[in-house]
Amino acid sequence: MARSQSPARLVIALSVAAVLAVFLLYVSIAGGTPSIQPSQLKGRSGEVALVGKVTGRPSGDAHAAQGLRFRLRDVEGSTSVPVVYRGSVPDLFKVGREVRVEGRLQSGLFVAKRDSLRTKCPSKYTPAKRA
Amino acid sequence: MTTFALAVGALLAVACALYVALPFLREPAPRSDRLDEPDAPERRRLELAEERDRALAALKELEFDHRTGKVSDDDYRELVGPLRRQAAEALRALDPRAEAQEGEKRVRAAG
Amino acid sequence: MPELGRAALAACLGLALYALMAGAYGAKARRRRLARSAQNALLAAFGASLVAAAVLLAALLRKDFSFVYVADHTSLELPTPYKISAFWGGQEGSLLLWLLILTGFSAAAVALGHRSGADLLAWVVPVLGLVTTFFAFMLVAVSSPFATQPAPADGAGLNPSLQNPYMMIHPPFLYLGFVGLTIPFAFAMGALLARRTDELWIVATRRWTLFAWTALGIGQLLGAHWAYVEVGWGGYYAWDPVENAALMPWLAATAFLHSVMIQEKRGMLKVWNMLLVVLAFCLALFGTFLTRSGVVSSIHSFTQSPLGPWFLGFICLITAGSLALVISRLPLLRARTRLESLLSREATFLYNNLLLVALCLTILWGVAFPILSEAVRGEQITVSAPYYNFFLRIFGLPLLLLMGIGPLVAWRRASLRSLGRSFLWPMAIALGAGGLLLLLGAGSSWVGLVAYTFAAFVLGSIGYEFARGTRARRALAGGSWPAAFSELVARNRRRYGGYVVHAAIVLLAIGVTGSSAYDKVREQKLRPGQTMAIGDYRLTFRSLVQREGPNARELRALIDVRRDGRSLGTLQSGKNSYRAENQVSNEVGIRSDPFTGEDLFVIADQINGNGSVDFKVLVKPLVNLIWLSGVLFLAGSLVALWPSAAEQRRLAARYRELRALARA
Repeated sequence: MARSQSPARLVIALSVAAVLAVFLLYVSIAGGTPSIQPSQLKGRSGEVALVGKVTGRPSGDAHAAQGLRFRLRDVEGSTSVPVVYRGSVPDLFKVGREVRVEGRLQSGLFVAKRDSLRTKCPSKYTPAKRA
Repeated sequence: MTTFALAVGALLAVACALYVALPFLREPAPRSDRLDEPDAPERRRLELAEERDRALAALKELEFDHRTGKVSDDDYRELVGPLRRQAAEALRALDPRAEAQEGEKRVRAAG
Repeated sequence: MPELGRAALAACLGLALYALMAGAYGAKARRRRLARSAQNALLAAFGASLVAAAVLLAALLRKDFSFVYVADHTSLELPTPYKISAFWGGQEGSLLLWLLILTGFSAAAVALGHRSGADLLAWVVPVLGLVTTFFAFMLVAVSSPFATQPAPADGAGLNPSLQNPYMMIHPPFLYLGFVGLTIPFAFAMGALLARRTDELWIVATRRWTLFAWTALGIGQLLGAHWAYVEVGWGGYYAWDPVENAALMPWLAATAFLHSVMIQEKRGMLKVWNMLLVVLAFCLALFGTFLTRSGVVSSIHSFTQSPLGPWFLGFICLITAGSLALVISRLPLLRARTRLESLLSREATFLYNNLLLVALCLTILWGVAFPILSEAVRGEQITVSAPYYNFFLRIFGLPLLLLMGIGPLVAWRRASLRSLGRSFLWPMAIALGAGGLLLLLGAGSSWVGLVAYTFAAFVLGSIGYEFARGTRARRALAGGSWPAAFSELVARNRRRYGGYVVHAAIVLLAIGVTGSSAYDKVREQKLRPGQTMAIGDYRLTFRSLVQREGPNARELRALIDVRRDGRSLGTLQSGKNSYRAENQVSNEVGIRSDPFTGEDLFVIADQINGNGSVDFKVLVKPLVNLIWLSGVLFLAGSLVALWPSAAEQRRLAARYRELRALARA
């Protein structure tokens, strides 16, 4: 016994609407993280993902209380910012490597979120090396 | 090395050209060069044939589902009638003349 | 030699163009010989790409560094297997692999596709010709593997992290999957172009789709395993764009696999299936583009890659062209039947499709979001694991449940009464399992508990289906239980093979749940002699050893593992320092428990100068079920793929009948 008005369309429409609602709710609450470079960091206080090249001389111990301290500069530029990081350090981390780290700027020092350091690995088939 | 490569390349090029031209070389003057294509009545028959097969397959599946217990006796009784009619209709639509008898047999065998 | 390669590629391009143009004209003007000639061109294109591939392979094996590609991706001391895998290790070579597989599959599809009707095939050829033209063009004009240079003394070598067996198998499997999806796409577009209203194109491509889908699934599992044991951060999936690139077409293909069953059985969802196959194919192209150029990171790197604009242009062309074609043929795609009840197997397939496509699109959104936000706001906003995991749960858990519900529901209409009876056993099993798990402490993660309960329900429903079917078979034909069982499966390979695949997915879900919702992590700095505890395990760091490997200095921490007082052996975990490339890699130590499928995962995060080591240790319950599921997945797919004599006879009879109808 077929219904004159196909329920299939109704089901599809309702489902799409439901999905969109859930989606928008989530994205507006959780949001994403902006990826910026050190030169764009000025004045921003929220949590961001900082992308740049490791510069200077890294010192300290990421597994110790004082953390690993290094500077991050623009990929193509000289503006740099000091970073303090605690957590796992990817194997490919070294001076000159492009990395990405999440955290926020606090009094001129970028305090990184634990274990958020990633290197941008040039190799093709493995995802960027993880910590 | 290069001459060898050239020779192989040339050979392959000729082979490809020959292969592509093959249909024309084989039949330089065919009776009909028309690509077989179902016209409207033939398409309709294709559709009907598919409908018939679908209906027969659905009957078979209903039978199996009933046997395994997925479809209860009441549900089976409700569903089998319309399905049998659908299958018979599809058969009749395909070929009203000779297939009628044949059709009845197939419907009974499937359901 | 490189000239031969270049010539072969040029020939392939020419043949593909011919197949496209002559094929399209021959189909439109109904010229039989021209259409046949175009078919031959497609087959010859396979020959040409085979020659090109042979030239590249020979150059790789011969260490001919006058080829820029060979010099860039191999070196004198590279072991032979990796010389072979270097074929697809670089951009140009991987495009050639795409072309080779594409032309090979096209040739096979055309050669085997005669039963579908000459008019359908006449249109399939130009579609395949179009895709082949694109890839051949890229190889000839944009990204050639046959560029030459004065040969340097040695090549650049392969990144040491890529020198493992996975490099040999993971990319080829993925490519078999990506390329395989071209065939159902071509047949679908061919059917539209030929104005066919029947379902022959689905029957013709059913096995292709299943094969491509299986290859893509296995390829992803291999990639996940690679990430787990080699990259070694303790996880197996990072929601990286490169990983999502393969997941998205797989999800679309999963939806397609299910909904074509409905079209076959009930003649419904014709438009939906067309859209799905286009989506799956475009996502496969997009996935190829993503993995090859690593481009999604930003718009700037996008425009810098020479491939980017071309690929995107082609994807837009395909999308626009296919959509236009579907719209123009909408009257042909009107369904005759309607969904009779929201409580029927058709309906559950529809819900399954909606969830799969929703998940696929949210992943696509997450992948494209950084680029879109950069274009709109000038700033890249990325989403990461929390976003993806959220949607994976929202869509994945209902999908899991549906896998158990679907098989229990009848076609067309299911009454609540018969549903209730069918659900009884699986529900009882699920509730029992849930209760037991709660007692065992699984309540620490309610998502995990729900997932486990649903998994139990699905396994219960699958087992119930097998049992009912075997019992009915036995009642019908007698014989022993095993005989009835194999007879049951043999007569319904698609259905029961499908159930086995579902069981594999459930195992996968259980493994993923266990290792994510119930895992434990501990980080601790240990000096030699010190012990740390995690879960039931006690790990004692014995000593640090150093040895010289063939191309690296290997540093390993030796760790004694004990549980409940018993020794479980020694684990080694550490790092390799590759001399030539000046790179360090993580070498994790994994102990797999053969009884519980649990892994003890030890990472020597940082080896300090004073001999102490910062360890990160994870306990991942049930993670080995993930790898086991791959085996079951393959087995189930093989059962479903296996040709059956009865089906062949039926198809042959139908084909004869159609020929008779055509002549009548």
